[in-house]
Amino acid sequence: MFLRLVADSFTRRPKRKMLTLAALALGMAVATAALSVSLDVGDRLAEEFRSLGANLLVTPEADSLPLEIGGVDYRPANAGAYLPEADLGKLKTIFWRFNIKAFAPIIEAQVKATPYDMDYFPDPPPGAAYTIIGTWVNHEVKIPDGTTYVTGIERTNPWWGLKKGRWFTEGQDECVVGKTFAIKKGKSVVPERPGELPTRDDLKPGDVLFVYKIKGQTPVRLHVVGVLDTGGPEDNAIIAPLEVVQTFAAKPGQYRRLYVSALTKPEDAFARKDPKTMTPAEFDRWYCSPYISSIALQISQELKGTDVRVIRRVAQGEGTILTRVRALLWLVTLAALLAAALAVGASAAASVIERRTEIGLMKALGAGSGLVGVLLAAEQLLVAFVGGGIGYAVGILLARLLGEKIFGFTPEPKFFLFFIVQVLASLITLLGSVYPLRRASQYDPAPILRGE
Amino acid sequence: MSDVPMFWRIVRRLITANYGRLFVILLALGAGAAITAALLNLQIDAQRRLTTEFRALGANVIVAPRDADANSAGGTLEEGLLRGLPAENAGKPVPAVAFLYVIGEVAKAGEIHDQAAVIAGTEGQGLTRVRPGQRTEYSAELEKDPAACEVGAKAAGQFKVHAGDSLRLRNQGREATCKVFAVVATGGAEDTQIFSRLSTAQTLADLPGRISLVQLSVTGTPDSIERFIAALAERMPGADVHGIKQLALAEGKLYNRISGLLSATVIIVLLLTSLCVMAGMSNVAIERKNDVGLMKAIGGSVRRVVRLFLAEAILMGIVGGLIGSAIGIGGSIWLGKSVFGVAAQPRWIVYPVSVGITIIVSVASAFPLRRLASVRPASVFRGEA
Repeated sequence: MFLRLVADSFTRRPKRKMLTLAALALGMAVATAALSVSLDVGDRLAEEFRSLGANLLVTPEADSLPLEIGGVDYRPANAGAYLPEADLGKLKTIFWRFNIKAFAPIIEAQVKATPYDMDYFPDPPPGAAYTIIGTWVNHEVKIPDGTTYVTGIERTNPWWGLKKGRWFTEGQDECVVGKTFAIKKGKSVVPERPGELPTRDDLKPGDVLFVYKIKGQTPVRLHVVGVLDTGGPEDNAIIAPLEVVQTFAAKPGQYRRLYVSALTKPEDAFARKDPKTMTPAEFDRWYCSPYISSIALQISQELKGTDVRVIRRVAQGEGTILTRVRALLWLVTLAALLAAALAVGASAAASVIERRTEIGLMKALGAGSGLVGVLLAAEQLLVAFVGGGIGYAVGILLARLLGEKIFGFTPEPKFFLFFIVQVLASLITLLGSVYPLRRASQYDPAPILRGE
Repeated sequence: MSDVPMFWRIVRRLITANYGRLFVILLALGAGAAITAALLNLQIDAQRRLTTEFRALGANVIVAPRDADANSAGGTLEEGLLRGLPAENAGKPVPAVAFLYVIGEVAKAGEIHDQAAVIAGTEGQGLTRVRPGQRTEYSAELEKDPAACEVGAKAAGQFKVHAGDSLRLRNQGREATCKVFAVVATGGAEDTQIFSRLSTAQTLADLPGRISLVQLSVTGTPDSIERFIAALAERMPGADVHGIKQLALAEGKLYNRISGLLSATVIIVLLLTSLCVMAGMSNVAIERKNDVGLMKAIGGSVRRVVRLFLAEAILMGIVGGLIGSAIGIGGSIWLGKSVFGVAAQPRWIVYPVSVGITIIVSVASAFPLRRLASVRPASVFRGEA
């Protein structure tokens, strides 16, 4: 009988139930969409922040002070310490190896360069010395566990954009030149008509550059394959494969600086504590959280003799902005939940109020307040269940739309959200119904039935 | 004559007839309005605030000598240029610091062995903002010293100095001393540099009145920073004004993503909130069948009946909107404080907008009443339907 009453209430007047159902489904759709976007977006945003570039810098521990102005180290190549390139695979063996998104070693040397073939004139050409930067591009690193990993400067420094051409291929005598350098070092063009002044072409892919050591003799032929635009000092330099520049610096198999781009958790008060003052349990928790400081420690444990520093401007900026945006998103989610809850509650309340006559009749027929309450609650719960289900499905679609429009990714449909949404729907519906149900159970059947 | 008062009397009765129902409607409308107002206000504020937060990344615009050969560090600019820089952009101050770089020999005072290091003479407001980092040691007392200097963390380790110690700086026979007031860790090249007063570096380099470059930290949306750079470049034809591509690119990308995300979420939440409120309200509207039946039975025209309900809906919308929006704006001030640490500024345009939205939602939810036009009084009274 109880079930029949509940079922009848649905089949006899489907329209009224439809409205409550619609309110519920919409509310829960907002809740699902907001929750699934905020759950995914944090990680997604953290990855977006990697476009700021490396957040860790590795240098030799026992080094003389670099004389770096505007990104150029003015130390002679034989001054200061270097690090072995062969160790770099170990970076992908640390505890947070999957959070290491990219890394690239750097070695620099001072060279002279000319686009003219001067075989007959073995000394370096006159004029200013330029920096040649050796690094990795699309480099396959051998990891101690036998696998390989592809990384390079184009991943650590995503703003290094090629204006023309392509990146060099490692193992080839190829190089990429900065855009300012390309303008300065082009070949003269012999004028077509006599009397005109010769003009100068820019260096472009396909040209050959003869690169001399400052005090060297035979030049190295490098094929220019691209022109680089970084907006920084690299615009006035030559960028070549690491091993090419190692030869110029006479430091085979070594590098001077390493940039690491790691996905991190924004620093909180706990992360700022000095690891040395932590209790063993705290230390474990710190070590096993992807804080930038703990990743830095893990790297320095793997790469011996290094000093791993956090690039503060990137790490701090990332941390504050990420924390704020996450808080903001949760806030919007909360607002959405609140809106959904109130609307659902209001419509649940309305549906109880309008059924006063029915309640009066039931009571007149001898139903106790408790039974009436349970009956109505059961009905509401059924609506909540169906509405929650529909809302979940719509919400997942909505989240997908949002994710694709803004981030170009599809948030994974999370099944556990289904349960959360169901519980939420039931709770809100019941809460919305409590007050009117209490009122309803106090109704005196006689005046209601008289229509007063 | 008595027609108008009668109309309003009926409206009053419609509203006050059932307090439970009134409460439910006002709750739904008020909540909708509160959330609308809070989110709109917060969103406007957040987008603006985001540009401020980006300045944690430090300087994003550089004024350097034109045609400077980066390898010779030769080109310099006139020091007076610093005073000609605009003090603000989009209502936010623009910290600007002039730098002069010298490579000199540095040693802790009293020690013989010196080592080459980069000495950066600085002048201007906001060094900590163009060069974000962490000061591991700092003494405000010592900073007032006319010969105060700040040492990068790595350099401090090399020279074994702490706040309070003195350094001897030398370059080609010229000598100066400075007193360390802070040790700073930035993770960049600054860690190995010594930041002295500009005049100290100028004396050491024998370049009085000259600077190497100016770093600025410009707050604003990517577009407004672009405009700032273009305007500055026009005013300073002798210098090369450029943005730092690393920051410009990342900031632009992040700003678009985050503000896009916020706008999209807010729009969807608003849309669905109004739909929810509508659905809740429609439920209430349908039970008005009896009232309509009675009105029609005693000769009310459909138009008049609809007008009655519209008047009721608008009234409800105004009341719910006024109360709810006020609560919402108040709430957003507090929420802004909890997210950004600074209270969100209430924007008064939000108030009328969200009240307007609430009235529209309220009227739209009276929409199902249109069907009441087809209600047949007889069947209502028979208790059918």
